[in-house]
Amino acid sequence: MATKSDTSLSSRLSPFQRFYLIVIAGFILGPFIPLLIQSFAFRWAWPDLLPGTWWLEQRGKSMMPLAWDYVLSPYSRVWEATVNTVAIGLIVTVICLAICLPAARVLAREKFRGKSAFEFFLSLPLIVPEAAIGIALLMMFIRLGLAGSYVGIIVAHLIPTIPYMVRMLTAVYQGLGRDFEEQAMILGASRWQVLRLVTLPMLLPGVVAGALFTFLVSTNIFLLTFFLGQGQIVTLPTLLFSKIAGGTLDASAAGITLIVTLPGIILLIISERFIKEEAFGKGFGN
Amino acid sequence: MNRSAAFASLIALAAASAVQAEDADSAAFRDAFLSGEADWAAVEARAQEEGTVNLYYWGGSDLLNVWMDRVVAPALSEKGVALNPVRITGTKDAVDLVLAEKNAGKGVGEGSVDMIWLNGENFATLKRQDALLGSFAPLLPNAANLEWNPDDERSLLNLRDFGVETGGAEVPWSGEQYVCAYNADRVAAEDVPATFADLRAYLEANPGKFTYVKPPHYLGNTFVQQAIYAHNPDGTGAEPFQQSVDQIEAGELARLIAPGLDYLRELEPLLLDAAGGTPRYPEDNAALDGLFLNGEVDFNCKFGLYAVATGLSTGTYPEAAQQFVFPEGTMIKNKNYLAIPANAPNPAAALVLADWMTSVEAQASKLQMTGMPSGIDSWMLDAAGAQAIADASPGLVGVTQDALDANAAPDTNATLVDVIEATWLEYIERDSTDPIEAIVARAYKNLSK
Repeated sequence: MATKSDTSLSSRLSPFQRFYLIVIAGFILGPFIPLLIQSFAFRWAWPDLLPGTWWLEQRGKSMMPLAWDYVLSPYSRVWEATVNTVAIGLIVTVICLAICLPAARVLAREKFRGKSAFEFFLSLPLIVPEAAIGIALLMMFIRLGLAGSYVGIIVAHLIPTIPYMVRMLTAVYQGLGRDFEEQAMILGASRWQVLRLVTLPMLLPGVVAGALFTFLVSTNIFLLTFFLGQGQIVTLPTLLFSKIAGGTLDASAAGITLIVTLPGIILLIISERFIKEEAFGKGFGN
Repeated sequence: MNRSAAFASLIALAAASAVQAEDADSAAFRDAFLSGEADWAAVEARAQEEGTVNLYYWGGSDLLNVWMDRVVAPALSEKGVALNPVRITGTKDAVDLVLAEKNAGKGVGEGSVDMIWLNGENFATLKRQDALLGSFAPLLPNAANLEWNPDDERSLLNLRDFGVETGGAEVPWSGEQYVCAYNADRVAAEDVPATFADLRAYLEANPGKFTYVKPPHYLGNTFVQQAIYAHNPDGTGAEPFQQSVDQIEAGELARLIAPGLDYLRELEPLLLDAAGGTPRYPEDNAALDGLFLNGEVDFNCKFGLYAVATGLSTGTYPEAAQQFVFPEGTMIKNKNYLAIPANAPNPAAALVLADWMTSVEAQASKLQMTGMPSGIDSWMLDAAGAQAIADASPGLVGVTQDALDANAAPDTNATLVDVIEATWLEYIERDSTDPIEAIVARAYKNLSK
């Protein structure tokens, strides 16, 4: 059964299902096609189906770097923005985990007065508009000297990421139950052994999913980064915004847009493998 | 204006208790320089100690970004100053930042913005809020490249920015003129309009083939101002619009601008996409360039003395683009400037940067690499300097410099720009049925609040 599933799966799809799949794929991949063409164009005017002049034809004639020459040159700040985005995302994820793991444990297992009110309070940052948070934070951070600093941006990124992370980890803890840990203790495991050998491996899939989600949210935050970075700290979303704010997409803007999608895609590919093989395989496997 | 005012007042409210403070050493340096006691060698020495300069500028042009990194940064590092070019999406963001920091009590030597590229309203805002370092421009060694004599009519663009006195608190960086281009593949030479009446006649024959950038963007405001100049009922063109709101009554202003606004209202059904119900005004010059390249419109009007030559070299203009004189006699000419805020963290380094930017070397390479016209005055230069600027020019396409000079007109006073902008939004965009007098009177009242 398992051996022939690959081929039989697609042939078992009804015509409607196949059509549906193609439409979905078209929606996801479609926008990338003009983007890819535009990134190699020099002059692409309506109604031409393809650019009238390609970037490579003009490359030798222009004294300024065009299209991909600009995107991949230090002038575009793409590399600086990528490093900033990934570094901020990683640090935010680690801090967010450190805050949310203990919090989720308590929320999942303990009962205390005002618990539901507290849970609602935790999700408030998702309800209040980001612009309102941004302006208020900016006023405080200017006084504290945190505006335009990495610390300021990391603190700001924690605000919209913590509610997601707490909710995901709480759900994982609820699914876990105390029985496994108690069982291990009865069999003589120390607290450290319980944490290392029982709790963490069982939590791992949830932790990985939460961490990935947090990282992706952080790498996509524009408004808070824009307010608090004050233009001094460039990340991929702010770089992209400054390029396409004009409403047109030239070759270098198209190139930057393609680069901006890369971290997310790479991460998704890695996580697919990791969650399947590592987490589920070792955590719950035989 | 409204957004930044609201933002600034919000910040002011929160920071009302903050005490105004400044770095004593920087303040002493500022006072010594502005009173003429510090010689230039001392400025350069202090600039090296400060080490960096934070230049905030609109980062939407690849060409300008490359020029900053490739030319400006190395030139400054030779002087021992590291350039930190901060690319921003809108100049207002930098102005907001300066005001926010000022209201949080940060004085000279303590802020984060050393220099902003701006003009018009943004300068007027900083000036009104007393957020500028002081009258530094005439004290720079390269101030000799600029005409400061008020008796010479040509000094106007150095002394007034949208009718607001610069007071030396900003130094000219680039000069521009509002020039239109047409696509010769789509428009026959004899059909090219020279006046607003010609434009309407063209659009009646070819509806939808024109639009202008939407006010309050400065490119849209400028187009509206030109229409108002051309339809001035007294026939005095730009002249009455040099006064500020304090000098001209609301009723009088309404009388002067009404014919121009009526023209624009009548033009609206002939603009791009107006046949479908709502006319389409592009948000900024990049969007307008896109419409022009795609042949959706036949004309592209913006500040762009060398826009055609530059657009051809970057592929953003159609190959048959040509410049032309429009509207006859009221082609607005202005300059844009570099200003140093009152709370500049590195005032000496900012002065060194301002001086380098007004050198012949800087202006020639900027002109050559980015197509941004020279901001210094050619008649003040020696023969070699004037020649270097002339050689660097990417060239006009289809018009002559003499024709452009002959049709030049000055900008509208920045305070009137606010009123005209508000009136356009009310009268044209929102199709208000109120008479123009009432709308202008309302705008006056809102402005004085």
